[in-house]
Amino acid sequence: MAPILEIDRLQVSLFTRAGVLPAVDGLSLCVNAGETVAIVGESGCGKSLSALAVMRLLPEPPGRIIGGAVRLAGRDLVPISEREMRRVRGKEISMIFQDPMTSLNPVVPIGEQLAEAIRQHNPMSYRDALKRAVALLQRVRIPDAERRLNDYPHQLSGGMSQRVMIAIAIACEPKVLIADEPTTALDVTIQAQILQLMKELQAASGMALIIITHDLGVVAETADRVVVMYAGRKVEEAPVEALFERPLHPYTRGLLGATPSATRQHGGRLADIAGNVPSLSDLPAGCAYASRCALAFDRCRSERPALSQLLPHRLTACFATEQEMLRNGAPVGA
Amino acid sequence: MAVSRAVEFARRFARNRAALVGLVLILAVLGFAIAAPWMFPRNPLRIVGRPEIWPFASWRFPLGTDSLGRDIAAMVAHGARTTLLIGLFASLTATLIGVSVGASAAYFGGWADEALMRFTELFQTIPNLIFVLTIVAILGQKIEYITIAVGVVTWTPIARLTRAEFLTLRDREFVQACRSMGMGDLRIMMREILPNALPPVIVLSSLVVAGAILFESSVSFLGLGDPNVSSWGRLIGDGRTLIRTSWYICAVPGVAIMLTVLALNLIGDGLNDALNPKLRDR
Repeated sequence: MAPILEIDRLQVSLFTRAGVLPAVDGLSLCVNAGETVAIVGESGCGKSLSALAVMRLLPEPPGRIIGGAVRLAGRDLVPISEREMRRVRGKEISMIFQDPMTSLNPVVPIGEQLAEAIRQHNPMSYRDALKRAVALLQRVRIPDAERRLNDYPHQLSGGMSQRVMIAIAIACEPKVLIADEPTTALDVTIQAQILQLMKELQAASGMALIIITHDLGVVAETADRVVVMYAGRKVEEAPVEALFERPLHPYTRGLLGATPSATRQHGGRLADIAGNVPSLSDLPAGCAYASRCALAFDRCRSERPALSQLLPHRLTACFATEQEMLRNGAPVGA
Repeated sequence: MAVSRAVEFARRFARNRAALVGLVLILAVLGFAIAAPWMFPRNPLRIVGRPEIWPFASWRFPLGTDSLGRDIAAMVAHGARTTLLIGLFASLTATLIGVSVGASAAYFGGWADEALMRFTELFQTIPNLIFVLTIVAILGQKIEYITIAVGVVTWTPIARLTRAEFLTLRDREFVQACRSMGMGDLRIMMREILPNALPPVIVLSSLVVAGAILFESSVSFLGLGDPNVSSWGRLIGDGRTLIRTSWYICAVPGVAIMLTVLALNLIGDGLNDALNPKLRDR
């Protein structure tokens, strides 16, 4: 089956006074209909910029797509005009942002915001759109939806606001929904509800879901496949169980080690990853993670590892892992 | 709910006593202006009696007559229509130009911002009154042209204020969210950002009405007003030659201008209190 969204060697650069920074460097990613892919990584590793690039919403300047393709159902979105892109946004591909409290227009009642989102791509009377809005609010489980139409965003709780944002995002039944840290600004209990809701909506509509997060708990709960990004590049991609069972890239292992867990056996301190993400203006010649990696050797510092398939369905960009696998006689390139 | 919002707005506005006084004053002037054709049905510029009757000296002319024997009360009442209309429409013109320029400059940024703001500064460097007089001299002494001229010189502060508001709102997440829904630039500017930016602009516009009235008065005072309509500035201008003997000819319309401008400023303050979200819950 052809993937619904195919990001092909996407390159995004930031044109700043400090020079041209490779914020996203050759990211490739496929998402099938009905599938959930999580993109994880630390702050500043290019997750959000990738998502904005897919939406063609990069802040320009300084950001610009300088290479690669983003194919939605086979059609490349990178070269099309802004006018055509506007017909794609919201209709074929939607996005949810991090902070629901600031993502709604504070001076417009939510019913009107929803109705406008519906009317953006479906020509219909305002009255009909309001009726659809009520149905949508019910779909995202907002109690007493009809009365809520006249509420202003400040009258809603964070969880409610995020439900409204989700309702707006799915108003025109997009094929792909990108959620950029959809639960970061919410309470833990609300987080679970929102994730549950997104999964249910996805199951009902068959849309593809891309969740951007730095919370591995969210990943475990929702994703089918995980892409780990570091310093603008994909360093590992794996099905979710496999990733948690056996992380191949040292960075992924670091992330997992730094995640608190209630069932953790050995107690004590969380293992953190020493050092910081290298600055984009000062990327090393070799692997960007080498300076923080315990397994790094000379080759890591001089040569950049490419993604290779060491196990079925799994991609990793790490010389140390490659060597270890070869030593153990694991199937390479299978 | 729309109704409860209006009530809430009125309550916040009324908490400012001075603003209420301003509102009452403006309503009085407005009533006076609307009632003028019934109270003084004849042309106010007609000579109706003996010249230079002092106010309160004659029952027929409660505010006296001017040097030609025209009824000052009639001229002030009809002048109120002219003055308020000019103030209102000049402010409307200024707000329209100012909001369009400021909003486009901030929203599109880059060279558009540079060009539009330099254009704005160009207007700011020309002394306002001289600019108005120049435009009136070129276009002609008609009330429409005076209105446009006043609008054209008073839009710059509105443009700068709108630009500042738009700059803070442009990068807010909800604007990004609107883009991700596929909304166009014009739609986002008009329907999404503008309602958020409007409160301070409305306050400034109400003050521009006051400024416009003063401009019109200055123009009329200098004798460049529309000769076919009575206005307050023109009354003062006509009376200035007699200021040492019959000073009331200048004083009566002068007081009218002062009260109206004061009232508009008080209303501006009240609107500021009522529209400022930071003062909302006090």
